[in-house]
Amino acid sequence: MTSNRPLHGIRIIDLSMGWAGPLAARNLADLGADVIKVESCENFDWWRSWEATQEWIDEDGAEKSPAFNSINRNNRNITLDLSNPKGRELLLRLVRTANAVMENFSGSVLPKLNLSYDVFKKEKEDIILLSMHAFGSTGPWKMFRAYGSTVEQSSGLPHVNGVASDPPMMHHIAYGDAVAGLNGVSALLVALRHQAKTGKGQFIDLSQVESLFPLVAHGITEFTANGKEPSRNGNKSKFFAPNGVYPCEGEDKWIVIQVLNEDQWLSFQKVVGAPLKDYGDLKDRLSRLEDLDKAISEWTSSKESQRLMYVLQAAKIPAASTHTMPTLLNDPHLNSRNFWQWLDRAVVGNQPNPSAPFRVNGNRLPINTPAPTLGQHNQEVLTEILELNQTEIDQLEEIGIIGTKPKMPSS
Amino acid sequence: MAKALEGLSVVDISGSVSTEYCSKIFSDYGAEVINLEPESGFETRKIPPFISGKNDSAMHAYLNTNKLSIVRDKLEKGSIKELVSNADLVLSNGENSELSAYSKGVLSEISWYGKDGDYENFVGTDAQCFALNGMLRGLGAIEGPPIIPTGYQAQILGGMAAFAGSLGQVLGFELGNNKIPTLLETSIFETCLCLTEVGAVSFFNTGLEGRRLGVNRFAPTYPLGVFPCKEGWIGLTVLTPSQWHAFCKLLNMEQFAFVPEYQTSLGRLQAIEIIEPVIQESLLTFSSKDLFYKAQEQKIPLARVPTMEELLNVDQFLEREAFTSAILPDETRLTVPSIPFRLMDTPPSLGGNVAKLGEHTESFIYDK
Repeated sequence: MTSNRPLHGIRIIDLSMGWAGPLAARNLADLGADVIKVESCENFDWWRSWEATQEWIDEDGAEKSPAFNSINRNNRNITLDLSNPKGRELLLRLVRTANAVMENFSGSVLPKLNLSYDVFKKEKEDIILLSMHAFGSTGPWKMFRAYGSTVEQSSGLPHVNGVASDPPMMHHIAYGDAVAGLNGVSALLVALRHQAKTGKGQFIDLSQVESLFPLVAHGITEFTANGKEPSRNGNKSKFFAPNGVYPCEGEDKWIVIQVLNEDQWLSFQKVVGAPLKDYGDLKDRLSRLEDLDKAISEWTSSKESQRLMYVLQAAKIPAASTHTMPTLLNDPHLNSRNFWQWLDRAVVGNQPNPSAPFRVNGNRLPINTPAPTLGQHNQEVLTEILELNQTEIDQLEEIGIIGTKPKMPSS
Repeated sequence: MAKALEGLSVVDISGSVSTEYCSKIFSDYGAEVINLEPESGFETRKIPPFISGKNDSAMHAYLNTNKLSIVRDKLEKGSIKELVSNADLVLSNGENSELSAYSKGVLSEISWYGKDGDYENFVGTDAQCFALNGMLRGLGAIEGPPIIPTGYQAQILGGMAAFAGSLGQVLGFELGNNKIPTLLETSIFETCLCLTEVGAVSFFNTGLEGRRLGVNRFAPTYPLGVFPCKEGWIGLTVLTPSQWHAFCKLLNMEQFAFVPEYQTSLGRLQAIEIIEPVIQESLLTFSSKDLFYKAQEQKIPLARVPTMEELLNVDQFLEREAFTSAILPDETRLTVPSIPFRLMDTPPSLGGNVAKLGEHTESFIYDK
């Protein structure tokens, strides 16, 4: 462990699955915490697959999920069948050595396993439990189920985006997951700071839906300040013009151009030249928006988007070409900043790993280990932390409490 | 009741949406946060939405409860230096190097693209971050153009990430794991990559590149999206075979439930032209509220898709005090979101006062 990583000496037991919880755990691991992820062979992280088949298991499908592998780096992975009393007991022994436990199940899962904050607290008085339920741990919807998409749908965000003639617009297949993950790491850090100062743990109630409310704050306050539902105007702005996404050379190539003040407009007018010479101040531009957008589209459509972005940005005009997934991996800015860290991973080989979004004293937080395979650290954790002997470990494997291969669910 | 971040002092020398969202979490959890503003005030005082009949920014009010406002031009240079150098954490957008040079604790700079690289000097916006992270291209009608997400979403995400990084560094120092002074740089653009990095890594492994499929269509999950009901809008997400079976039963379309090709999301997506008209017709026989409760009873993760007015009146959010009041200097109360996570033994402040520009300058000078 590198000595100058801020969370050195902090241990997190991560029961979470999917994206939200593991992203929070990833940030903690990047900051130097010892994150031990607990899955089981039958109830493995559903981000490995939610449509598992025996063929998928036989072909090592559990180790090939790009989604799982990109989120779970820098941690350790063990399997414990928590539905078995022995597996549960081992989890609680592990909790005795930890600062915090985290989970993002639906509200019914921990009670079924006879686990709760009170149970963890009996094992370790100062333990922290972070629960990241979709709608929070209290209220009439506390047991309701959701994915990241459900979270966005429930947050109000779709009603402030898109165009009025379409349904309210979502942004993402699972916007709620990533945003809840960013909130999850923050929540645990606040509680860890309190624990360090006072020696006290506590329960943290995080609502994934409420985690999206800050992103809708402009719409919520538009309504609460003025009593009007925000209108969904697509790329039209009341405050800026031009403000849009314009076609470029090639199929489905686009550039965002947003002129936010009159200095930028004068620069833009100069770069574009004749097609914009007749347009005046903001009021004039807003009054002739359709024509303005058409003139700009005609001008951009013969230009290569990435090159145009550099030309406009050189003139201090906010502009960006639209990346695709392939171009994202080759982005010159990200590559010059070593954003993608490449590590060899069992089963899938060399893989790009996205860095944490912050650097410390100019240095990337290192990604020391790729996502572990299922149960990769069973031996290490059970011997070094729980002090089991080899016979005991062999017995656990024999009766299926631990393992390194998924099993098809029994029901 | 004591708060978890009491005893920490934070000074914001720039006043961007990102620095203010970051410091908002600190102030909600008990840290002393000082906005060290220029005489004209931070720029966020001038950003929309505005409060009806006033020039006050509602967004600024949301971001700045329970903070102090000091006008730096009224202070002597030595006082400014002392104020900044005594702070545990100094927040900056990376532009005010004269002030940030005084920092002796954690200096946390939140900028659009970071301090180096090809885009270092780009003029940043929220939309750009979503263009460059690959998300924007997937939004909107197939024929385009892609539709820009509204508001300050990228900047808020940057503030969230910077909070984690900043508190991580402060805590690391308190734990004896790292030294100060420390410079933490958060890139708003790189923060936004947490939304799309999985897609990029998937492309690397599969060679499959997602196309824009239309509004609310995101491969491979289907059904997924926002659909009209008899009353209101419903959000659909049906993922697993058991959810699909229950969904078909709920919508009286059991003819699709056990079709082998429809047992996977991808199979259903490929049959969208057959399935979707039946779903749409059935949804129009339900109110979204009724359908939501019926679905959740059967463990199908459907969602009500509320307007702003509906959102503010959802019983789940009311019971949890998910919204609170920012109290403006003239006592106007503005309803704003509360903090999304609650430490139960050391709860955060919910809402609070928004300082007038320079409200605490005199008392600061007097205390000196």
